[in-house]
Amino acid sequence: MKPSSRWTPYVLVGPAVAFFTFVVGLPLLGTIGLSFASWTGTNRPKLIGLDNFVRAFGDEVYRGAYLNTFIYIAATLILEVAVGFALAGLVSVKGKRTGWYRITFFIPVMLPMVVIAVLWSFIYSNDGGLLNSFLGAIGREDLQHVWLGDPTTALLSVSVVSGWVYAGFYMAIFYAGLQRVPQHLLEAAELDGASEWDLFFRIKVPLLRGMTEVAVLLCVTGAFSTFDLFYVMTNGGPDHATEIITTYVVTTVFRDHEVGYGAAMSIIMTVVVVGIGLVYARLRRGGGVDLEY
Amino acid sequence: MPRRHSPRGARWLASNTLYYTVMTTFSLVFLVPLVWMVMSAFKTQQQIFDSPWSLPTSIDLSILATAWERGGFGTYVGNSIIVTTVAVSAILVFGAMAAFALSRLKFRLRGFFLVFLALGLLLPVQSYFVAQSSLLNAIGINDTRLALIIPYIGLGLSLAVYLLKAYLDTLPRELFESARMDGCGDLRMFVALVFPLIRPGLATVAVFSILSAWNEFLLATLYIQSDELKTIPVGLVAFTGRYATDYPLLFAALSIITIPMIAIYVIFHRQVTSGITEGTLR
Repeated sequence: MKPSSRWTPYVLVGPAVAFFTFVVGLPLLGTIGLSFASWTGTNRPKLIGLDNFVRAFGDEVYRGAYLNTFIYIAATLILEVAVGFALAGLVSVKGKRTGWYRITFFIPVMLPMVVIAVLWSFIYSNDGGLLNSFLGAIGREDLQHVWLGDPTTALLSVSVVSGWVYAGFYMAIFYAGLQRVPQHLLEAAELDGASEWDLFFRIKVPLLRGMTEVAVLLCVTGAFSTFDLFYVMTNGGPDHATEIITTYVVTTVFRDHEVGYGAAMSIIMTVVVVGIGLVYARLRRGGGVDLEY
Repeated sequence: MPRRHSPRGARWLASNTLYYTVMTTFSLVFLVPLVWMVMSAFKTQQQIFDSPWSLPTSIDLSILATAWERGGFGTYVGNSIIVTTVAVSAILVFGAMAAFALSRLKFRLRGFFLVFLALGLLLPVQSYFVAQSSLLNAIGINDTRLALIIPYIGLGLSLAVYLLKAYLDTLPRELFESARMDGCGDLRMFVALVFPLIRPGLATVAVFSILSAWNEFLLATLYIQSDELKTIPVGLVAFTGRYATDYPLLFAALSIITIPMIAIYVIFHRQVTSGITEGTLR
């Protein structure tokens, strides 16, 4: 439609674009610029070319943060996406009343991550922690552990909390997808004698393929931008065992005041995340039946 | 007939029992930590350590009041309400305006603005928050409420514009064209026609934006230093540091924040669930 006057579209778009430019556009350019500079935040920024990037590639803690992120992704693909998928299958079994289960599984999703992180720090805690006392109660004192204090268990312990939070989220999106499975397909299959089990694996699972791919991408890219859970529970420790990119960037910029170096690490991460997204989108192209959300 | 019916009934009963047992077990995984949190608030430090699974011997609600007062949660909750209300109102109004123009009006920079705003959906806040904090410092609003309100508006707008534009795109064009024939200009059309029409879309955006702003932690912890300006998540972390050893008080604080949210969620669970899932899936 033609605008009623030349300037009205710009009046309408103006505020949104102005805020967005100030909050995202300029800072993005600024971060790219800073990544080539050495700056403490108060002195004069000095251009140092690619030094920050060279340093990042040689930085063991930074490389370790990627390794930790990939372990975290592997764990959460199972604990969030796969568990969420299974829960969605369970709550959509025909003829069962599942409203309260769906509400329950989704509760952690809308709570502040900080609250959950503090709560689970107590659950994992050494003295009076729920997990260790549960293990004691069932007679498995041998499994009791300093869950967050031991570098070998800390990352997985945090991943479990992430699963506890987001399994309900993935359940909700898969459940919404299952509601869109055409009823006549299921009825026809039932008439042919298919069991509930067949219905799930032969009809529902294949139809959810497209949505599963979206969920996997969301889980992978989301992993790169987690922060709250790690920051509150371990802040990267012990001994960088749970260091992820954002906790390391925050330490570098806001504690060590190496703004340029932090900016370079942010930019590398951006390239990685956008790269994964693009490669994934290309791989996905041309995949059979689809149920779009 | 009854003879054929009863074995089927028995099997149905067995599978039903199994089903609900499994589901209840799963629910406990989600509920036990939360119930434990609330119960522990009403116990003594000693009881929490010695018998974590026992029920509290008495429920003394004054612990909640104590935690509220000592933690200064009134201030944090007030800050969260101010920041969230201002940011979300701006997101809804500015988002709807931009969505209308980008969906229905032809103008030169339309394509450019669409791509530009899409950056916000593509990039994580980690891509640019380093320079964002310097920028807020430079204009002197670091450690003020504006240091949260302005970024929350900018961050929320991408999603709002895209969801609302998708919503507007589905409406029949005759609706807008006939209004135009009647001599309705763009701005009046927005106020009188568009804003009321997209109410369902606005509800989704509102739910998602409210929860994002209410729960946001990364920027809030980096940009706010004064205790009297902190929002709930940052205030809670400060509180945890101050009373690290007073378990009942900590659990009381967690309960104060959590219980009202769960209550509101249970009432509006349909809107909350669809708001979060649609907002995240885009």
